[in-house]
Amino acid sequence: MDENILDIEDLVVHYETEDEVVEAVNNIKLTMKKGEILGLVGETGAGKTTTALAIMGLLPERVGAIKKGKIKFEGENLLEKSKREMRAVRGKKISMIFQDPMTALNPVKTVGDQIAEVILLHDKCSKVEALKRAQDMLALVGIVPERYKDYPHQFSGGMKQRIVIAIALACEPDLLIADEPTTALDVTIQAQILDMMRALQKKNNTSTILITHDLGVVAEMCDHCAVMYAGEIVEYGTLEEIFDNPKHPYTKALYKSIPSLDKDVDRLHVIPGMVCDPSDLPSHCSFYDRCDEKCDACKLHDPLPYEIKDGHVVKCLKYQAREEE
Amino acid sequence: MAENLLEIKNLKKYFSTPRGMLHAVDNVSLNIEKGKTVGVVGESGCGKSTLGKTLMRLHEPTSGQVLFKGADIASMPLKEFKKNYRANIQMIFQDPYASLDPRMNVLQLVEEPIKTNNKNLSKAEVTAKAKEMMELVGLAKRLEGAYPHELDGGRRQRIGIARALSLNPEFIVCDEPVSALDVSIQAQILNLLQDLQDQRGLTYMFITHDMSVVKHISDDIVVMYLGQMIEKCPADEIFKHTIHPYSQALLSAIPIPDVHVKHERMVLKGELTSPINPKPCCRFAARCPYATKECFETEPQLRELKPNHVVACHHAEDFV
Repeated sequence: MDENILDIEDLVVHYETEDEVVEAVNNIKLTMKKGEILGLVGETGAGKTTTALAIMGLLPERVGAIKKGKIKFEGENLLEKSKREMRAVRGKKISMIFQDPMTALNPVKTVGDQIAEVILLHDKCSKVEALKRAQDMLALVGIVPERYKDYPHQFSGGMKQRIVIAIALACEPDLLIADEPTTALDVTIQAQILDMMRALQKKNNTSTILITHDLGVVAEMCDHCAVMYAGEIVEYGTLEEIFDNPKHPYTKALYKSIPSLDKDVDRLHVIPGMVCDPSDLPSHCSFYDRCDEKCDACKLHDPLPYEIKDGHVVKCLKYQAREEE
Repeated sequence: MAENLLEIKNLKKYFSTPRGMLHAVDNVSLNIEKGKTVGVVGESGCGKSTLGKTLMRLHEPTSGQVLFKGADIASMPLKEFKKNYRANIQMIFQDPYASLDPRMNVLQLVEEPIKTNNKNLSKAEVTAKAKEMMELVGLAKRLEGAYPHELDGGRRQRIGIARALSLNPEFIVCDEPVSALDVSIQAQILNLLQDLQDQRGLTYMFITHDMSVVKHISDDIVVMYLGQMIEKCPADEIFKHTIHPYSQALLSAIPIPDVHVKHERMVLKGELTSPINPKPCCRFAARCPYATKECFETEPQLRELKPNHVVACHHAEDFV
């Protein structure tokens, strides 16, 4: 049996400021097998990036706090590690591709130096050797290696994103977290980057968490998919289950609100209302106000994640109740 | 036959840079009928936004004509344009986070264009009109005193729409109005824009890079590449019978949210070439998988291959 590379248990992350407590991530549970690509979808403020930052140990100091839970990576709880130990993990075992390639790179260092920096930090080797490996990485992501002496502003957006990917992959991590890696790019460039990520993933068998709000990207890339809403995973399952057999009202509404390329509709389906304020979450189901399948019981209980089918988990009272009857 | 509200003839906008002339919009000709929506698509840097801003005279056109109800708004003195036409041609800007003054509250933001353009209105009249606009775009009364930073992207974009509509324009340039928004909010804004069009007979130019959005909202679609219009046809036609290889590539690059559709993807090599001093050849030739010697030597002209479907490609017949 495959071992789990990542096991998140009951993770709770709060951002605490003087005036309020923002409950960004509430009790999420997530397991990932080795070599799997997991899609994490949801709207702005759903807690996708916070989850990623918690895994990386990069939550903003003082403000961000992990209240509860465990993040087990290859069997070890990352939350118990010291800062020093985390530094050894970060970049080497787990690395992250950041959302905006325009701001993720250092404008006053050459891209070769920026890639070599990670290699020097984690692997004992000479500067010359590190630069040589940096050039190999550039070639791997489809940039002429001779350009390692260039600065970020000399590259276009798509190429900068390739460089960010090269940095993330430089130490051949076991787990890669890609936070909206193509959101800032044009579709044609997005297609290039996704093709490249898929090829590299096959080659190294890297487990990947792909954070995105684009369901199309998920359909093309992922094996499993988790839908997040207001800091909770409301639905989790294999790609086929989530796309062919969505159960949670939010997932269903999400599909209906995307304009389709092959069907003509006069009006788009609208999810009424707004995402509830994470500093003031209700005690009942957080999707209640916007849900079009709600019933009275939804206002009384907060639903528990319920496995309706092997590996397909839904957090909705509708399915939970049906089972208990 | 519907009348043309806007006729663009050979519009050019060049920017001078240290390395030569940058051809941001090159020889674009386009007619927009009253009450219709024309979608403009293309990658970043293809001149979509410059085209929109040039129509608004936010950029001065280098040459060419823009006839708005028969009057050439591109060559008239800017003062005259501002006085008589600007209120009629409005724009909704791309980024609702950057296009609003952070120190003005919602009511002030909506009042501002009304005040500037109707000097004879009393303060009470201005406020009344602004409140009417807020209601029209679905901004609740309690938000009047709120500042932009307190609002989410969807509400901010509604302020942008209210500002544009407050002058009763006939033509609105929507520059990526939903790109910065989440899908569920995007649907709300698209529906709002459609409702307003039905109620007020508005004409839109809808600039976006999202093909599924443009298909949903447009009657006609224009595909731009490096400042040039390379294909124009009715919206449903482009998804069924695209002709230009670039449009085909653009369409095939869209990830489809369905696990069963496995489409052949045409991945383009490279990126946009530089629009500075382009050579007189097909600008897409360097990335085109079908390019021949001819493509690198002469520039293809727009030809009407089917009714209402024009394409600029030497080999267009082969793709019909």
